[in-house]
Amino acid sequence: MESNLTYESAYKELAEIAHEIETEAISVDVLAEKVKRASDLITFCQTKLRSTEEEVVNIIKQIDNHSVS
Amino acid sequence: MTAISVLKLSDLTRQIKLTIDGVFGSATFWIIADISNYTYKNETNHHYFDLIEKEKLSSRIVAKIAGRAWGTAAVHISNFEKTTGQKFKNDINVLVQVSVQYHPAFGIQLNLIDIDTNFTLGQFEQQRNATLAKLVAENPSFIRKSDGRYITRNSELSFKMAIQEIAVISSATSAGYQDFEHTLLNNSFKYSFKLDLYLAKVQGEENAKPFLEKLIEVFNAKKDYDAVVIIRGGGAQSDFLLFDNYELSRAIAKFPIPVITGIGHQKNETIVDLMAHTATKTPTKVAEFIIAHNRSFEDDLIRIQKTMIIKSQQLFAYYLRELNDLKTHFLKDVLRLLNDNHRNISILSGIIKNKPGMQLSNEHKNIDNLLGSLKAFNNIFIAHEKVNLQHYQSLVNLMSPQNILNKGFAILKLDGKIISNPESIMPGNELTIQLSTAEINTVVKSKKIL
Repeated sequence: MESNLTYESAYKELAEIAHEIETEAISVDVLAEKVKRASDLITFCQTKLRSTEEEVVNIIKQIDNHSVS
Repeated sequence: MTAISVLKLSDLTRQIKLTIDGVFGSATFWIIADISNYTYKNETNHHYFDLIEKEKLSSRIVAKIAGRAWGTAAVHISNFEKTTGQKFKNDINVLVQVSVQYHPAFGIQLNLIDIDTNFTLGQFEQQRNATLAKLVAENPSFIRKSDGRYITRNSELSFKMAIQEIAVISSATSAGYQDFEHTLLNNSFKYSFKLDLYLAKVQGEENAKPFLEKLIEVFNAKKDYDAVVIIRGGGAQSDFLLFDNYELSRAIAKFPIPVITGIGHQKNETIVDLMAHTATKTPTKVAEFIIAHNRSFEDDLIRIQKTMIIKSQQLFAYYLRELNDLKTHFLKDVLRLLNDNHRNISILSGIIKNKPGMQLSNEHKNIDNLLGSLKAFNNIFIAHEKVNLQHYQSLVNLMSPQNILNKGFAILKLDGKIISNPESIMPGNELTIQLSTAEINTVVKSKKIL
């Protein structure tokens, strides 16, 4: 997976592929390739999402610890 | 010789005295006169002076009698000085009660019995009013009268927020200065002050000019004084004419640093008081005024400080609340955003997982269909082809040379070649005749064209 990939662009590409697959606009020739790509993108997005979630939860914990209310 | 009647001088003076006593007796008179040639003997408490009257325009003396005062009269003079603030001295114009007395040794004398204070006070009042009127009339650019008050450039100056650097004009011996300094420097608020003392004589009208020079000295010091304080006081009442002086009053009115007075006049304010920025009764009051002024500044500071603290606390509370609200919403929003993304990804993931399988199975189906059609079509085609082939086979069979030879036909060959055109056959040619089961060689004997 390319190093400069962002969640934003990954998600966009994934949505495009999903749309193409959904409308069967992809020829069987490149179907496997596209599904492989989509699978990679899903993994990337989920990983990114999970790590972001963890980070957010940690930050929220810190906010709670520091807050003077 | 005519006997000349000779008298002793004392006999004559006795007669004069009798005559004068007879005429004036114990009668008293209120007269207005100027004092001149004044001397005072402390040990006997005797005042000696001349009462004179001058012509108004020329100042030429038109009347002059020696006068004296002692005993009760001396007490009256002392009271007069206390009440009017005017020393009994040369060149003052007074209303006095006198009796006429003749003393053989000293001649005609006026015995002072009483002195009218109100007359002198009235005179002062007139003189004072004249000076005030002149100040207003001649200095319109920095002295004016409004609603019975005198407004001067000095009185219109603003004090600095805190008064700390002070020029003090006072006499060296003044108890007033000590009162002022003590009150000021021992203030309970621990305010600090810097005092510059300018020494000046603070009584006697003749000292007005030196006093004015002190004021100019303060100005020329070019120090950034917050106020100029003029004090005198303590001690005995004496004349305040110095502070009614026109030139000095004018200079005070015009002075660029606020002037505070504590001259210690119990009755009317002096003209300097009226021209100054602030007039108080005593040196101590000047100090109290300055402390109060600074205290007011500090009170303002404290009030501002308190307001700032309260406002800051309110602001902090407000922003903390805002922040908490924001945090709550923000957390919800973040979690929702993450959930949304999870859901979106799983939707897309579902599509990616399921759809290609469906597409592939469709493709399979298509291919199967195609294959089925292909199979069915193939059988028909082959059957059709078989028929065609059979047709062609029978046709070919029909046309085969063997078949024809079997039917009794023969094939002629010349030099191994089948001859269909008889033109090339010439008599003598060797021909091969092919029959169904045999070949015969022959020679052409003749040829006849049919």
